[in-house]
Order: sequence, then structure tokens, then C-alpha cells
Amino acid sequence: MKLFKFSFLFLLLALGLNVHAQQHELRLNLHYSYAMPLGSFKNDVISNGSPRGVTGDLLYGINNKISVGLGLGFQDFYQKYPRDLYPTGNHETTSAVLSNSVQIMPVLAKAEVHPFNGKRAAVQPYISAGAGLGIISFTQYLGEFGGSDNSAGLMLQGGAGFKVPFNATGSAGLSLGANYNMVNYKKNGFDNFNNINFQAGLYFPLR
Amino acid sequence: MTNKHLLIAVFSVCTASFLSCTKEPLNNLTPQESRIYVTNSDSTVNFSNYKTYSISDSADVLNNGQTHKELTAVDQAYIDAVNKYMQARGFKLVNKNSNPDLGINVNRIYNTATGYYDYNDYWDYYGGYWDPYYWGYGGYDYYVPYSFGIYQVTEGAVSVDMLDLKNANAKGKIAIIWNGLIRGEGIFDSSAADASVKALFDQSTYLQSK
Repeated sequence: MKLFKFSFLFLLLALGLNVHAQQHELRLNLHYSYAMPLGSFKNDVISNGSPRGVTGDLLYGINNKISVGLGLGFQDFYQKYPRDLYPTGNHETTSAVLSNSVQIMPVLAKAEVHPFNGKRAAVQPYISAGAGLGIISFTQYLGEFGGSDNSAGLMLQGGAGFKVPFNATGSAGLSLGANYNMVNYKKNGFDNFNNINFQAGLYFPLR
Repeated sequence: MTNKHLLIAVFSVCTASFLSCTKEPLNNLTPQESRIYVTNSDSTVNFSNYKTYSISDSADVLNNGQTHKELTAVDQAYIDAVNKYMQARGFKLVNKNSNPDLGINVNRIYNTATGYYDYNDYWDYYGGYWDPYYWGYGGYDYYVPYSFGIYQVTEGAVSVDMLDLKNANAKGKIAIIWNGLIRGEGIFDSSAADASVKALFDQSTYLQSK
């Protein structure tokens, strides 16, 4: 019931005020990002969430509902596991503290859709999609011994959120949202670095 | 500066801060956490068939292909720790002239790697960081008459070898049937010896004389 009330309130806000369209406008979205690993990334590599991330989207409004452009970012994942035993060869066992460190830098072609843009709305929901490369740096240490692997893999992103314009023109405001990030990494028995990130920041026009 | 430019500047600073705040694994390890303990064993050996052992009275120091024997306080601490945990597993220390079943060597190993860095690459990369104005010769370029410099890095390890003396005559060789290797920070400190050797034995539960 609470969820229903919240959804109803959100819909009222979304349709409540007039906001101008952002057609033919170049806009920058800047966000702080908190990310959580998912699936095999969470189970096999790093289970801790990452509070060290930023994203930036440079988008051009091709009409009053759809913007397209470039999505960039940086997210740093790190986890140190307590000392444990690892089989490292035939009849060889290594006792070590395992440290995993993963940095992901997305370079995405991105589209953002504002279904209620141009209507009376104080809160603008949006959905987004992106595809491109995830530039990955993966470092693994047993104790102080280890090394890094740098690579780039296919990255797909789907997101949703809402924007709260500062003024009636709607050209700048607050932005809150979340993205599901599929990051391909098939090496040394690893499968992917999929994660979900929650982001909060600002958007404003570049004129 | 407009608000837009200010925001971009703030974002750039934040991005740079995040990049510099990347958790560097090596900076987040204590000396104890930096250490690794590696054990190897001959899976065909039943250690309960061995009852007695003798241990070398000094350490073999293997230093870049040169070997000699030495007994420092650190070596003695490792020898004492090996004795402690061997006897805890039921093995009996005997004189080396009393036909021990096992012989144990404690080794200190040093490997020095020598490399060079190319000054041409070096200055291409970092040249902009040196300020000629600091020396009062603003506008002058630096000139490096030589092309490379040398650096050396020495890495150390402690190893414990367990030798099969019981079957040496029958096999015509002295087989190493167990080996423990200790690497990482602070291992050449006497205070690290007991915990390090304990770790080797803890992960080798099959080392039992009974």
C-alpha cells in the first residue's frame, strides 16, 4: 500500500509542472556513483560495494524526448580477503591474504529517453541505454605478490531514474538514478564484472 | 567563471580525487598480511613412516648463485621454530650421526634483479616535472649526456627443506619430500620466525610421525 501511495505521489509530481523541452541542446550529466558487484563478480572476485565512482554523460537532444551522446565514468572496486589456503600447483598450497582490485572505465554510446518531457512535470523520469567498451584494470595479489591485467570488453548498460529541474526551463537540475552494467571479462576462469550503480548528481546545458 | 565552468572544474577535481583515491592493494597490507607461506610435498610419502630427524646447525645462505653457511639470530630463531613444531608433530630430534630418518635444512635465499631505465623514455615521460627556473636558468632545456641508468632490487625468502635420509641409500639419492617457503615483508626478523614456521606446519597437517 505504501508503495502504491509513493507511486501515485510520484506520478502527480511528474505531471504537475510545466517543463520546457530540451531539443537541440547539448547537456552534461555529472554524477557521484556507488556501485555493487553482481553475480560471479560478487561471488568470485569482490563482494564489497564501491563508494569510489563518478560518471559523466555528454548528451545531445535530438528531439524533446530523446537525447544521445557519450557516457564516461570510473569505478574502483577493492576487497581484501582474510588469510586462507589456496591450491597453487600440484601438491602445492599457498597461505595468503588475497587482494582483488578492479577499475572499470566505461566508454559508451548512450541514449536517454524522457517520456514525459514537454509535459507539466516537476520530476522527470527517464530511462537510458548504453553500449560500448568497458576499459578494465584487474589486479590480484597473494600477499604482496601478484600482477595486473588491463583489457577492454563489451559493456552494455540499462538505466532508469528521475530528474528534478531547478527552474521552469528544465535545462538544469538534480539527477538520481541507477544503471545495470554488463561488463564482459572472460579471462583466467572469470566471466564478467557485472554491477549495478546508483548515482546522484547534476545536469546542465553546455551552450 | 560561469556556474557551468565552475561545475565542470569541480567535477574534474572530483574525478582526479577519485582516481587518486583508488585503493592500492599494496598500500593496504600490514607486514604480516604481505607474507605468503607456500608448501610442497611428495604425495607418495607417508610421513608417519619417519620417526627421527636432525636439523642443520646453521642456515644455508643462497645469494645470487653463491652459497655459504651462516648462523645469525634470525637463522637460530627459524631453526628453533622448526624444532618446536617438528617435535609437536611427534618427530624426535637426534644427532645427525644417529642415522636420522629426516634431515632438515633452513635456507635464506636472496635474488638480486638488475635492470635499467632509459633516460630518453624517462625524460619524455617526466621531463616536464623538472623546473629549470628553480635553478635560476629559466628557459633552458635539460640535457642528459648518458642514455640509461642502472637499478638493483633484492628480494629474499626463507625456505625449509625436508630430506628423506631414511631411503637415501635404497634410492641412491636424497629426495626432498617436503618444502616450505616464506616470502614477504619482515621475514628476516627473528620475531617473524615462530608464526611463519607455524603457518607452514598448520597447512601441512599430513606432517605427523604418529
